[in-house]
Amino acid sequence: MTKPMVRIHDLATDEIIDREMTEAEFTQHKKRQEIAAKQEAEAEAKAQAKAAAQAKLAALGLTVSDLEALGL
Amino acid sequence: MQSLQETALGGGPAIAKTANYVLVAADAGTTVAMNAAGSTTITVNTGLFAAGDTVFIQNLGAGDCTVTAGTATVATAGSLILPQNDAGILYFTSASAAIFYDYIQAGATSPLTTKGDLYTYSTSDARLPVGSNDQILVADSSTSTGLKWAAAASGGMTLLSTTTLSGANTTISGINQTYKNLYIVGKDIYASSTGQFQLEVNGDTGTDYALTNLNGDGTTAATSANEDVAGYFVFGYHGTTNTYSKTANFDMTIPRYSETEYHPFNIDFVGFPTSLTKWIYYTGRFRYNDTAAITSLKFLTSAGTFTAGTIYIYGVK
Repeated sequence: MTKPMVRIHDLATDEIIDREMTEAEFTQHKKRQEIAAKQEAEAEAKAQAKAAAQAKLAALGLTVSDLEALGL
Repeated sequence: MQSLQETALGGGPAIAKTANYVLVAADAGTTVAMNAAGSTTITVNTGLFAAGDTVFIQNLGAGDCTVTAGTATVATAGSLILPQNDAGILYFTSASAAIFYDYIQAGATSPLTTKGDLYTYSTSDARLPVGSNDQILVADSSTSTGLKWAAAASGGMTLLSTTTLSGANTTISGINQTYKNLYIVGKDIYASSTGQFQLEVNGDTGTDYALTNLNGDGTTAATSANEDVAGYFVFGYHGTTNTYSKTANFDMTIPRYSETEYHPFNIDFVGFPTSLTKWIYYTGRFRYNDTAAITSLKFLTSAGTFTAGTIYIYGVK
């Protein structure tokens, strides 16, 4: 399986190397992708929950400002 | 006319003086030669010569020979200082005034000898040797030429590198350690998929990353803070297109990056995650909880590979 490419720019020599990830780098890359996907899913779920709550308020004829006025 | 006759007309072969000399009436129409290792003078006094008299003066020695007005006046359009192998004619316009016609006029020869020398002037043309690397030229009235080389004042900013982002991540290593602060600009970044734009420092994948930020999309503002995050800082989200310039951009400062202490980072980032179709702005402060000097930075995308984007690193004195 072809692994993603990475770039390394060494300023000491101004040499630029483009190469495939090593096995260790690829393992870490996948782990990071999983963490990022989880964070994105959590953020998305949070946003959807917020939107749903706002929709419920609207159905009751209330707004966020109404809740703030109640000290909630 | 034979050459011997011509020489005789000039007063015969010159016998070089080796010390300061005062012209005498018998020098009219002759050659006065100076040959001394150190500086010497040839003095011109009044009442010895008549209008139209000439004296040919030459300097054979290593020391400068200066034609000096004694009681007579001596004018010149060139220089009264004769370096080695220079010469000139002293022409009397009266018994008390002479004009010195210097053979080597200003600019006729160069005092420059070495790569980087500057052609300057004090009381005559002068060489200013090249300064040390990174020095700048400044005016200084206390020096003979009015110029000197000096270290650049602090606060200057130098572009150290320009790197195009590529692949799933791009590492910039070997960062010059001779500056006080780093100023880093990321411009027009986008990738094959919308994802987090991340930064790993010094190849450190440990739990050494802490951050707090404020973010907003123009409608809603939020804040977040995380301690002991493993592996990297998260700037925010980049998108997948440069349409309408909807690219991610940031600037970041890393104060005292070469010192061995914990490192604060200040960042401003804006991205346009394609799935959200709106700008999201982040301003924050990172802290890298390791005392190693910062020598490399790895910029990563959490999804896909970078399509474009440029990182500029500036060193600040």
